[in-house]
Amino acid sequence: MQSKRLFDRIDSIRFTGITKRYGNSFAVKDLDLEIKGGELLILIGPSGSGKTTTLRMINRMIEQDSGNVTINGLDTKDVDPVRLRRNIGYVIQNIGLFPHMTIGENIGLVPKLEGWEKKQQLERIKTLLNFVSLPPEMFMDRYPGQLSGGQQQRVGLARAMAMDPPLFLMDEPFGALDPILRKQLQKEFLKIKDEINRTIVFVTHDIEEALVLGDRIAIMNQAELVQVGPPEELIFNPANDLVADIVDTQRKFKHMDTLRVKDLMSPFENKYVLEGNTEVCDAVDEMTKREIENAFVFEGEKLLGEVTMVDLMKCKSKSQKLIDIARPIKTFQPKDSVAFALSELKNSGEYLAVVMNSGEPVGILVSDEVLLKLI
Amino acid sequence: MLTIQTVADVWSRHLMTIRTIEHLQMFSLALILSIIIGVSIGIFIYMKQRTANPVLNFLNIVETIPDLALIVLLLPILKLGAGPTIAACVLYSILPIARNTYTGLKGVDEQYTYVAEAIGLSPRETLLKVKIPMSLPLIAGGIRIALVFCMGVVTLGGLVAAGGLGTVLQNGIQLYQKDAILVAGLWTGILAVFLDSFAGMIEKKLQERYGTW
Repeated sequence: MQSKRLFDRIDSIRFTGITKRYGNSFAVKDLDLEIKGGELLILIGPSGSGKTTTLRMINRMIEQDSGNVTINGLDTKDVDPVRLRRNIGYVIQNIGLFPHMTIGENIGLVPKLEGWEKKQQLERIKTLLNFVSLPPEMFMDRYPGQLSGGQQQRVGLARAMAMDPPLFLMDEPFGALDPILRKQLQKEFLKIKDEINRTIVFVTHDIEEALVLGDRIAIMNQAELVQVGPPEELIFNPANDLVADIVDTQRKFKHMDTLRVKDLMSPFENKYVLEGNTEVCDAVDEMTKREIENAFVFEGEKLLGEVTMVDLMKCKSKSQKLIDIARPIKTFQPKDSVAFALSELKNSGEYLAVVMNSGEPVGILVSDEVLLKLI
Repeated sequence: MLTIQTVADVWSRHLMTIRTIEHLQMFSLALILSIIIGVSIGIFIYMKQRTANPVLNFLNIVETIPDLALIVLLLPILKLGAGPTIAACVLYSILPIARNTYTGLKGVDEQYTYVAEAIGLSPRETLLKVKIPMSLPLIAGGIRIALVFCMGVVTLGGLVAAGGLGTVLQNGIQLYQKDAILVAGLWTGILAVFLDSFAGMIEKKLQERYGTW
């Protein structure tokens, strides 16, 4: 009964016009949301906002009243729910390891039901335990009750990975752990996330966790989607007071008024400098050699602007000079306030700026990086 | 006073080895049938919740019929011999086993059934791999109650020519042989206590293995 995989990778998950009601109240109301393949999307909001309901509609643990959920264009309603769920990894807060099975049996349960051979199962269990840093020979034959909460959560993650699914659903996986352990597991999880490079939908009520882990964050309130976007967008352009309140801009980033650009900029390096009269094709070679994606174009001492690798690749005539295609770039003084600089960047839709001190480039300001340093 | 001599005497005169074997045969046959029927009914009423109350109420009524009366009622249908006794045993034992199976399945913590479903177990797999194993301690408790019932009813079977140790008691009463009554009575008691503690041990093991932490 080994069933074929539904999808090897996720291109997109799309919610269209999703509504779910319980009695007279809406759990989710008219939700449109697209989750991109390979990203980690956070669903966050006060309790009762519909975030968990939204998550559970992806693997049909909850069925919507109207609207469609499609994965790679495939309507989940057209798929047998058991088959769908075996293609989706699932991790929840209370973990739910089966107390009557050993750790090995817990992890190997679905592979066993899928008719894998004993040897293959054992192999998989060992690989996964190693992956979550639990030595298999030590843990395989133990029962869940003999493990600490953190260890159990790792086993929970290993179990979710058993069938190597391209999509993971995580429902407050670190919610029940104490703060220090949570930080540690988040750190490990980030590493794992990069390694497995899968699409992840993650529910949490902890905004810090959301800001650290999320590629994009979807904020829900009273059954509706309020705003979705990358962390910095929510912080600097909250759609309304609720979003501002959730990302807690007022309190957490209050000290930003006192921070100066020079405190957060990265030092300027010469490898980012290209001369204005360089031809496009030479610039591509040069940037590839220097392993950079962005470069700043100078004419002597004078900053002309910025070019990116993508710009250069798109450029039709390879004999053009950089001076003709460089886009203007924002510059700041080291003593400018970070809040000012970031909102300027945000308004112009840029994420890079050069820090100039009396005509000399001294640093680079990157909005993502700034944010990470603040958190 | 009972001496070893009188015990040996009674034992051989009343063919107690054969009687014991008969007794245990009836007992185990009845218990096995009860387990099969009781667990099946328990699972059935769990899956069709609406039937749970009517079925359990009906079994409760069966339980209130005095055992002797039940055996006599079954006589015209199943004739003399072991039949009525085994049937009576089964009828009595179904209730504790079915009820405990039902309660056990209902009592499995929802988080486990939820997870089972969410990681892609079909309802049947959830029942077999999660719910039933996790209910085993309670099911074993039901079986243990049934075991004690059965021990009593099988002994009564002596009245309706079912064989077993009840026959020895019956003969002892008819012939007014106090020794026979005493030996057979004690022996039946010892067997019951022994089997019950054996069942208790199994129950405890299951509790350790399958009980929730």
